[in-house]
Amino acid sequence: MSDTVSKDLHPLEKTLLSWLVENGSASDMDAIAGTKMDEGSYRRAFQWLLSREMASVLSSEKTVTVELGPVGSIYAEKGTTPELVLLEAVKNGTSSLPEIQKNELFDRAQWGSAMGALVKGRILSKGKEGLSVNDVSGGVFSLIWKNVYSVLLSGATLNLSDLEKDVVVEVTKRAPKRGKSRAEFVINETSSNVIEITQAGREALKAAAGKSTIGILTREILMSGEWKEGSFRRYQVDIPPSRIHIGRFHPYAMFLDSVRDKLQAMGFQEMKGSLAESEFWNNDALFMPQFHPARDIHDAYYLEDGVEVAPPSKIIGDKVKAAHEDGGNTGGRGWQYSFQWDRSLKAIMRSQGTALSARTLGSKPEIPGKYFGIAKCFRYDQVDATHLPDFFQVEGIVLGEHINMRHLLGLLKLFATEVAGATEYKFVPAYFPFTEPSVELHVKHPTLGWFEMGGAGLFRREVCEPMGIDVPVVAWGLGLDRMALLALGLSDIRDLLNPDLTKLREMKSTPEKLLGGGNNA
Amino acid sequence: MPKIEIPLKDFLPLAKMENTDNLEKLLESLKAELDGLNDKTVKIELNDTNRPDLWTAEGVARGLRCWNYGAESHLDSMKPPAVHIDVHSDLKEIRPYIAAFTAVGWKVNQDGLESLITAQEKIASSFGKERKTAAIGFYPLDGLSFPVEYSVTSPDTRFHPLGEESEMSFSQVLEETEAGIKYAGLLSDFKSYPVLKDSSGEILSFPPVLNSFSTGKVTPGDSRLFCEVTGTDWHTVNLTATILACNLEDRGAFISPVEIRYPDGKVTVTPVLYNDTLTATFAEITEMIGSPAEELDLNILLSKMDYGQIKVSSNSVTAVMPPYRRDGIHPRDLMEDIVISIGLNNIEPILPAEYTVGSAAPVEILARSVKSLLVGAGCEEIMRPILTSTEKITKRTRTPELPIKISNPMTAEYGVVSNSLLPALLEVEASSGHAAFPHRLFTVGETLCRSTSTLCNTTMILAVSVGDGDFGAVHSILGVICHLRGLDLSLKPIDDTRFIPGRSASVLINGEVVGILGEFHPGVLEAWGITVPVAGFELPLESLKV
Repeated sequence: MSDTVSKDLHPLEKTLLSWLVENGSASDMDAIAGTKMDEGSYRRAFQWLLSREMASVLSSEKTVTVELGPVGSIYAEKGTTPELVLLEAVKNGTSSLPEIQKNELFDRAQWGSAMGALVKGRILSKGKEGLSVNDVSGGVFSLIWKNVYSVLLSGATLNLSDLEKDVVVEVTKRAPKRGKSRAEFVINETSSNVIEITQAGREALKAAAGKSTIGILTREILMSGEWKEGSFRRYQVDIPPSRIHIGRFHPYAMFLDSVRDKLQAMGFQEMKGSLAESEFWNNDALFMPQFHPARDIHDAYYLEDGVEVAPPSKIIGDKVKAAHEDGGNTGGRGWQYSFQWDRSLKAIMRSQGTALSARTLGSKPEIPGKYFGIAKCFRYDQVDATHLPDFFQVEGIVLGEHINMRHLLGLLKLFATEVAGATEYKFVPAYFPFTEPSVELHVKHPTLGWFEMGGAGLFRREVCEPMGIDVPVVAWGLGLDRMALLALGLSDIRDLLNPDLTKLREMKSTPEKLLGGGNNA
Repeated sequence: MPKIEIPLKDFLPLAKMENTDNLEKLLESLKAELDGLNDKTVKIELNDTNRPDLWTAEGVARGLRCWNYGAESHLDSMKPPAVHIDVHSDLKEIRPYIAAFTAVGWKVNQDGLESLITAQEKIASSFGKERKTAAIGFYPLDGLSFPVEYSVTSPDTRFHPLGEESEMSFSQVLEETEAGIKYAGLLSDFKSYPVLKDSSGEILSFPPVLNSFSTGKVTPGDSRLFCEVTGTDWHTVNLTATILACNLEDRGAFISPVEIRYPDGKVTVTPVLYNDTLTATFAEITEMIGSPAEELDLNILLSKMDYGQIKVSSNSVTAVMPPYRRDGIHPRDLMEDIVISIGLNNIEPILPAEYTVGSAAPVEILARSVKSLLVGAGCEEIMRPILTSTEKITKRTRTPELPIKISNPMTAEYGVVSNSLLPALLEVEASSGHAAFPHRLFTVGETLCRSTSTLCNTTMILAVSVGDGDFGAVHSILGVICHLRGLDLSLKPIDDTRFIPGRSASVLINGEVVGILGEFHPGVLEAWGITVPVAGFELPLESLKV
């Protein structure tokens, strides 16, 4: 940095330096009062001067104060804390949490965490007989009311250092740095400094004296020609920019679009279908017998009574029934049971994307042809870090007179390298009711290691024949969730559909790196 | 998928393996996965739901033996039955089928006993539909007097069930014992219950619930067993009995069949061995594998998969599937076993040669066009689950149309299917009070609505909202999209409970009503806990098609 740059002063800096020259060393508070700056401007000017060694800190003192957070304010308003009420209640014979939770003074969660705190602090204990009191004084929880709430309610400033050690521990616990909306307390750290001007500061001030500089270049300055006479104040260009929030695609949507683009590039046409399916298309058309435990794999959500999905054509329906019962014209003997139409026509939320492929087979597809679908599917699972109530699967089929196992493996190999960016892959025998042979594709990802990327196989004759398809059909399905999490740098699948904008805005936007394991940028 | 856990000291000798070095790879041929391994036990997950024979230690071990040393014979030296079971006609509606055999000469040890119990549990629960279609019973053979009678009895009949302290009636068993409570549903429609008795009248068991304490307790050291399977589906019953017989034969027992005499005079010697014969032509095999079948050593390949009587002719192969399997219902099933035996990773992958043109679905192309404009308008895309709740759709947002309900929801939180996406945007607004403004949000997604009185229909919807924004804020976004797509937009006042009276409108595109736009009612905002004004619009994506 040249001298001119370092000595060029911002108006705020100039104000502070001028005041310091007149008043010598001063505390932050005095300087703010003296210069009539707001605190933010003062701190900025002070930091700038400090970094340019135009001011220095003579002494510095840190104070840590406690204030009420949003939850604490609610408690203060109610005049008590859930811990104290709960303790009283147990003293008076209440013996279980559900019982106390009927009291609507606090909400269920607040009762719950108060309970946890009391038991952990050994004020209460939980036994076979229910709750009992260990420490009638209430220990730290009484102290919190007496020494924290009461003091703050009186309007006084409370320094953390004035509190008992165990109170400090408990208060700090209840003052989370994140999620402040749920905080009982807020802990503020402020440092107060005594500062003075340095020799460099005096020189800079002297150099700047009397000089008029142009700050923001305005239309007026341009029009009047004023800029020809003056000089421009130099900006500090190395400070971070302010964050703005712009319109953009959801990163998960971009991931799905990348998959869509990649499959189009491989010559696949996209299929679309219905969220609701009959069991016919979801299961029966895929030769999954109505009695078989294989249907338990795909536990489904059933729609309310009275909501239906259009039945299949009679020709296709009868042929699927025959394939199940005795093989029909498929060359096999079928599952040897009596096929039930009422079961078949039940409406469910689509549980597997293969239902789309079945429908495509039944609607005169192109031969040779390649089809894919990115389908929302629904599984009867508890929602957790690895399960969502609905999720995307990408599925597809390849039909052609000369299609065989080698093509199936060739396509899977292409998916492994192009979509997952796998360094190694292998094929493992698998079982799916609708394909024979069936294959699982396992890939070795550069960072994730080995994982199962998808399943595939040659559709059984019992699937193709009823749809009027007499050429071999390769069917495949890839799990997208794991790859999406990895591509987006997430570990919890719920974060893919997070409703919190601040979280969404932290997700990166690098669509060119979403496929291929992030290696093909 | 069934998972089994086997002690290595039992498993390795049974599988004729020295160690577990190559186990993970070998299990692939059985569609099984190594789920856990330590120095004492191995855990295996079986992925083929059509192969209950593999859900036992003996089954997995047999598969590995055959893979390494070739096919084995199964139950091919059974003598004619020496004993029989009489079946009573009243069982017809209740639980008509039974298959049985005796196993003599293998001294039951602790591991073997546990394996029998595992088989009993795994096969009867999943393959046997929670003991409905098949349930299994084992008994010490000594002390039983034949013929055994499979009959019905009154709920008041008393016996001492295995695992209970004293005698109780059949109805007490269903009400008071753990197994009884679990399986009572299978018998709730009937006034009399199945029973197995020997010729002296001694009760062996109350199928499918519990064995008797006095006759139905197998302990280590027993070397003579009687095994029966009862159920409502003949093939499930018979296949289960066959699998158990093969397992005990593998352990070293000598299996003898039992004759079943039905009330209509029909006589069946069980287990009935299926020995399904499968044939595949070379043409079929070549077409499927993509290389000439003539070059394959089909004898070796099928022997590894435990097929018997393999006959290779000049243009086809015929082989007999082992009796413990019944999943060979098409020539393709034989061909799959050939492929597994070749090894999937030994088949050279190639790409389809025929050229096809790829394309995205028209609605997806439209979605991308419209989304690009919205992004240009500064809107952030939101994605939320499709399953949601009545609370969110109806109670908080006041959506006039009721969403379609799930009849078996896992939780109320995901109990209905979205019929509007505005609630999802409000949910984001409610979760993002602390996020810096602007909050210009959009989402494009599928919804499910009633299209007629009975049928339902999936529609791709676009919804847009602006937090801390008013009617004009969303109107101008819709306006610019329509302008740039050359569509004619007009609004017509309409009352809608979601919005402030006088600040909602039907959206008309090219003169047709397609959607709704408005400023959300403070009551809606309050229900969501939103403290800024929010305006929004929603319409089917297709209405923006040009």
